[in-house]
Amino acid sequence: MANTGWDEFEIGAMLRTFEGEAGDIAGTLQEDRNYTQNSSFSASVADWRIEKPVFNKDFCIDCQFCWVYCPDLSIISRDKKMIGVDMDHCKGCGICVEVCPTNPKSLLMFPEKDDEEEVIAGWPEKEKKEK
Amino acid sequence: MSEMKKIKNLKEFSTSADRFEGANLLCPGCAHSIIVREVLNATNDDLVLAASTGCLEVCTAVYPYTSWDASWIHIGFENGSTAVAGAEAMYNALKTKGRLKQPERNPKFVAFGGDGASYDIGFQWISGCMERGHNMMYVVLDNEVYANTGGQRSSSTPIGSSTTTAPAGKVSYGERKNKKDMVSIMAAHQIPYSAQVAPNKWKDMVKKIQHGMAVEGPVFINAVSPCTTEWKFDPKDTMHITDLATDSLVFPLYEIIDNHELNITYRPKNVVPVEEYMAAQGRFKHLFKDEYKYLIKEWQERVDANWAYLQRREEARV
Amino acid sequence: MAFDKVELKDIEVWDGNFAASQAMRQCQIDVVAAYPITPSTPIVEGYGNMKANNLIEGEFVMVESEHAAMSGCIGAAAAGGRVATATSSQGFALMVETLYQASGMRLPIVLNVVNRALAAPLNVNGDHSDMYLGRDSGWIQLDAYCPQDAYDMNFIAFKVAEDHDVRLPCMVHQDGFMTSHTAQGVHTLDDDTAYGFVGEFKPMNDMLDFEHPVTHGVQTEEDWHFEHKARQHNDLMTKVLPKIQAAFDDFEKISGRKYNIVEKYDMEDADVAVVCMGTSVETAREVAGEMREKGIKAGVVGLRVVRPFPFFEIAEALKEVKAIAALDRSSPNGAPGMLFNEIAGCLINTPANPMLSGFVYGLGGRDLTKKHLVEIYTQLQANVDAGKLTTPQQQFIGVRGPKLSFL
Repeated sequence: MANTGWDEFEIGAMLRTFEGEAGDIAGTLQEDRNYTQNSSFSASVADWRIEKPVFNKDFCIDCQFCWVYCPDLSIISRDKKMIGVDMDHCKGCGICVEVCPTNPKSLLMFPEKDDEEEVIAGWPEKEKKEK
Repeated sequence: MSEMKKIKNLKEFSTSADRFEGANLLCPGCAHSIIVREVLNATNDDLVLAASTGCLEVCTAVYPYTSWDASWIHIGFENGSTAVAGAEAMYNALKTKGRLKQPERNPKFVAFGGDGASYDIGFQWISGCMERGHNMMYVVLDNEVYANTGGQRSSSTPIGSSTTTAPAGKVSYGERKNKKDMVSIMAAHQIPYSAQVAPNKWKDMVKKIQHGMAVEGPVFINAVSPCTTEWKFDPKDTMHITDLATDSLVFPLYEIIDNHELNITYRPKNVVPVEEYMAAQGRFKHLFKDEYKYLIKEWQERVDANWAYLQRREEARV
Repeated sequence: MAFDKVELKDIEVWDGNFAASQAMRQCQIDVVAAYPITPSTPIVEGYGNMKANNLIEGEFVMVESEHAAMSGCIGAAAAGGRVATATSSQGFALMVETLYQASGMRLPIVLNVVNRALAAPLNVNGDHSDMYLGRDSGWIQLDAYCPQDAYDMNFIAFKVAEDHDVRLPCMVHQDGFMTSHTAQGVHTLDDDTAYGFVGEFKPMNDMLDFEHPVTHGVQTEEDWHFEHKARQHNDLMTKVLPKIQAAFDDFEKISGRKYNIVEKYDMEDADVAVVCMGTSVETAREVAGEMREKGIKAGVVGLRVVRPFPFFEIAEALKEVKAIAALDRSSPNGAPGMLFNEIAGCLINTPANPMLSGFVYGLGGRDLTKKHLVEIYTQLQANVDAGKLTTPQQQFIGVRGPKLSFL
């Protein structure tokens, strides 16, 4: 793309999001959309992260707090269930972990290089509330 | 009229297919995109969007990428409102003339702008749009500072906040003027709906956006948007700071219908002291020195007075 | 059709403003967003009056500033439809930011510019300061010399600007008061013929096509900006003039009126020539005729298209001329005038080696009299007779006080 010459793109620096007809976008999930290379959906910000959220579905109650408060559309929810984190678009802000209400949390931040299976195996226990 | 999207609870809301995309260039933890998602996901109708120059604009449409799944336009710093008003005028013209490509669609016209673009440089343009009665919604992403250019004061910057153009220093406690009351100013344009919203109260947000999209005429929405970079807090704490903003009543949530019916839409069970809200942010750090502590007290008094004022207006239905 | 058509007389007595309003009505514009300013106000008033009397079906949005007028036009044009407005002077200056945005986004907006001086000192009368201010903005600029031209150039403007190979906004210039407020006989087109010439608007990259969402007005930094600007310049340089010529040819077929990218009068054998724009062209033509009676082979070259600058056409028009006067109706403020520079530029690498004199005239609506033009032609002929320039290269004419000349 960066080698594109002046005569090789649409006039007015106009960008299209979808190939062909978009259809009912509000009723079409991302995986069923035909994005162009110009949609930032096609890009990745994974290299922004220092820490990454790891999702442990064993404790998740599908409250969707992480979905609604994720600034980067990186919480994948389908049919009212939390499925996982979109690691191409997650910037590692950690909001999802902060808003997770379960005990122990269903999302925790770990260094980017950590192995996911290992951290889930070592997931913290339920915290006892002091009375 | 199209049917309003049914959003009973968060699980139902989570089935929304977002029309805003990730891998935008907003800072990690930026509230702008949380607000944008809540606004866009409040409807299934087609959208025609505009943004004034600012964080949202420069982070979502940097060639060759766009983060928008609906038609979107940016012209300049001051005229996001007028851009969408022009598009709305064209929609009306083509509707009258029978030239719409998809006449069965029922688009909503929404413009976004930061507080700099809205309270300051674009103030006149928004005023014009509100006065003329375009069928559009203007949403301010209010982070109380020119964040995109590195943290200069705007007329939304509150007293005591340290900004790069009104910094705290040896003889300065930072910003000396209190922020402009844009919701009231816009309501005074006799528009059908103006409201203040916050992304933590997503249900209140969705209700107000849906109300705003359902009414005929211009709608003004002021959304508090905590800025991790300029308010100086950890990106993970965005929602915590937003909670403090709404629960300290620094950002009370209310709506004004037809400039005479004010409704408070959120009453915190436990009101948080303003000091707590301020202490959580680096931009107010200097106010905790002994010589400036009176400002925190004054802040609390101002917030209390404003809350009392809103309640009086609500009771009096004015 | 929900709106009423108008039965025009073959010849109507219109000033330039009303001629522009009528052309705008006949083009069936979808959105006009406008703000009043002297001397272009009557265009907007005339249009508003037509709207109030059901002669216009499109939207007419009276906004709160010229900046908002062009902003609204940009939003409307990006949404996908025919868009136009009008302004002058300070209003034009306020619009300048958005002019670059309109052209950079390749939106075919038509802007009637009723030329007026720029303050300070404040002045409501006609000179070309606003036209010159817009000359690097990436717009096409057409110049009208009289109300008839102001009417006709509007049709040309829509036709060319909206062409999918062009997609660039277009200004139609007319002189403040001298054209805008001077009533003359204007040969009209009937409503159907006029609309038939510009045709139904054909959308492109339109925001209101919900099946094809588009993003307009992106940011491009050092990795992309240059290519986009180069593309725009390329299209201005290579595509626009042929389209204008084609539009002129088509327009002649329906109107019988022939326009040229460069208008030449008495130029076949001219030794001396004045190059100018606007109402000055007509005055110069009259004086050239009188000079010919005195034995001076005088001619006139008028720019019909200011941007893109008709480089080769001007060079061709002037190739046999021995002495040329470039008349600039805008203070260059520290440089030779625009026309002087452009003419010098298009002749320098050619075999032609004329003497070129620049004249700054008519600022703030000061009349350009026949006497001034006689002086200019006489000077040019003196240069021809002497075989060299006998005066400084830049002179002010019609200004009180000691003779003002430079370079």
